[in-house]
Amino acid sequence: MIYLQIAANGLVLGGLYACIAVGFSLVWGVLNVINILHGTFIVLGSYIAYFAYVHAGIHPFVSVVLAGAALYLLGHAIQAGFINRVIAAPVLITLTLTFGLDLILNNAMLVAFTADYRSINLARPLGSVEIGPVFLPGDRVAAMALALLLTVLLYRLLRDSRIGRAIVAVRMDREAAALMGVDVKRINAITFAIGALMAGAAGALLSIIFPISPLNSATFLGKAFVVCVLGGLGSVPGAMVGGLVLGMVESFGSYWMGPEHAVTISFALLLVLLFVRPSGLLGRRGYE
Amino acid sequence: MLAENRSRRLVSAMVAAGIAAALGGSPVFAQDVVKVGAPLPLTGPLSPEGLKQKRGYDLWAEVANSKGGIKAGGKTYKVEIVYTDYASNTPRAVQSAERMITEDKVSFLFAPFGSGATKASSAVAEKYGIPMLAPTASSAEVYDQNYKFLFGTLTPNNTVSEPIARLVTEKNKDVKRVAILARNDLFPLAVAQAFEKAAKERGLEVVTFERYAIGTMDHSAAITQMRAARPDWVYASGYINDLILIRKQMNDLGLRPLVLTMIAGPAYQEFAKAVGPLAENITSMSWWHPAVRYKGKDVFGSTEAFNAAWAKKYGGEADYVEASSAADGAILQLAIEMAGTIEPRKVRDAIAALDVETFYGRVKFGPSGQITSLEPPVFQLQGGKPVVLWPDAIKQGELRFLSR
Repeated sequence: MIYLQIAANGLVLGGLYACIAVGFSLVWGVLNVINILHGTFIVLGSYIAYFAYVHAGIHPFVSVVLAGAALYLLGHAIQAGFINRVIAAPVLITLTLTFGLDLILNNAMLVAFTADYRSINLARPLGSVEIGPVFLPGDRVAAMALALLLTVLLYRLLRDSRIGRAIVAVRMDREAAALMGVDVKRINAITFAIGALMAGAAGALLSIIFPISPLNSATFLGKAFVVCVLGGLGSVPGAMVGGLVLGMVESFGSYWMGPEHAVTISFALLLVLLFVRPSGLLGRRGYE
Repeated sequence: MLAENRSRRLVSAMVAAGIAAALGGSPVFAQDVVKVGAPLPLTGPLSPEGLKQKRGYDLWAEVANSKGGIKAGGKTYKVEIVYTDYASNTPRAVQSAERMITEDKVSFLFAPFGSGATKASSAVAEKYGIPMLAPTASSAEVYDQNYKFLFGTLTPNNTVSEPIARLVTEKNKDVKRVAILARNDLFPLAVAQAFEKAAKERGLEVVTFERYAIGTMDHSAAITQMRAARPDWVYASGYINDLILIRKQMNDLGLRPLVLTMIAGPAYQEFAKAVGPLAENITSMSWWHPAVRYKGKDVFGSTEAFNAAWAKKYGGEADYVEASSAADGAILQLAIEMAGTIEPRKVRDAIAALDVETFYGRVKFGPSGQITSLEPPVFQLQGGKPVVLWPDAIKQGELRFLSR
């Protein structure tokens, strides 16, 4: 019976991982930019939710909108102001640029917010639901459900809207999209901004789960990386599958082999997958 | 030109001497300086702890200098602390320590944060014969290399494990099954193992002992496993971010023991703030607590005076990391004054021979260099505040159990 609980833990964790990774995957897949800023964007989203809750009593689930909007604007500005200047350069150049910007933004957050760990204690937490032998933590499940909802919305946006089709077109063939009249520069900025929006929204959701500190950004970034490579780059379903697989593997792996090996197991799996399916579980399908 | 410059300098020196003489006669100008090197993790994951150490050193330097500096052998030395940031990267801590000795010419060192980095950099101090005072290294493994220049002001891990085991078993005979969750890291693992030993000696059954990796983001599998083992007492070791997450997930997953002990995090004020109502009745141990009362021969004079100086500079109360760091400065000062010189080897001998009362407690180092004279208090978070349960001399309240 304990396996039911382990599976439930893995699913909830996997949903959160998917939500951490989806924006990162979008930017990598469409712009071919490895956005090192992603982890810091998530933490910034968490801080927005934290301060909104502490000072204005706004529930973090509501702050998802605030954090998403703020990060959209920030992402747009960073892309148009900095990254667009080197967007055609080899991937190492853009990686170095986002790495440098990350150092600046992360250290600015350390100065502004200090490295102290903070956490949101909801006045009315949802508590835990007991279904037979399985405990489902209410707030975690709600956060995961919202994260999946956001991911589905992004998926629909890419499929059904003009902007979404343009983003997918740029991902498939930059030159052809430009010839068809797509403003590639503008689409680049919007895509990066949407990636930042997803990070900010994820940060607001995660603020009720993880301790908040600028120091967490590297951990989030590391998970996003693994999820993307597992699931396949640049596809929303890929990030979902990658996240869920990682969550399940870590959950069962820790149970069978002890929690100190959870990370080893997930990276070993990653290595195997890179040999067998280098494009990821759902790779090469295009962004739709 | 040159002659004019020189004569002008002579005149200004005479004026300065005249002013100094007028002010009280002691030659406060051209003061000698004693340089102490402090490599710290001021950025990166350990920066909260690094900043605590820095606050302790800064307070000591400020108080020592405001009282005229350190007097030794007829001279007065102003304290100057040389800081470097090793960005929570242990190899860089070792490099920083070496550079401070060879480039900055420091006479003494304060150790970096934690058992691991202290052990690594103590080899450098030993090589150059520079005394190194370690405020945050408690694991006995740090002091097992027969080094002569390393001194630590936290007692070994077993001294924080045995009192709580005794206290809980004496209060409640129904507490029988213990589950341990430890961060797989030098200090957290060593302290959990010391606790395991203490618990077994008291006849408790250790039903699970799980380790989690550094940087773990989820403890649900370990907690599920612990819940299945139905423990009466849960003991979790790690640093503050780990423990916040573990406490929240224990609640989420319905793990409800009678006793919950966590180390090291609850001693910091930000822990209770971050965990909120779930912090209630968590027990923990600390090597020092602002409620202790000692009269000392050190620069602070007494625990009350230290607390007051702390509150004036930073507000609030110091935790054990902050107090131990300030104590290391005060101990160094006592040893220099006793040695009557800042010659590192002579000061080293003076530190080894110390047996003295300070605001921090009685200070006497064992043959390995680790302090042996402290009684680390056991405390419990009650109403969001730490309440001392042991030792009896400074007891502030009774042990409470959690409700299932």
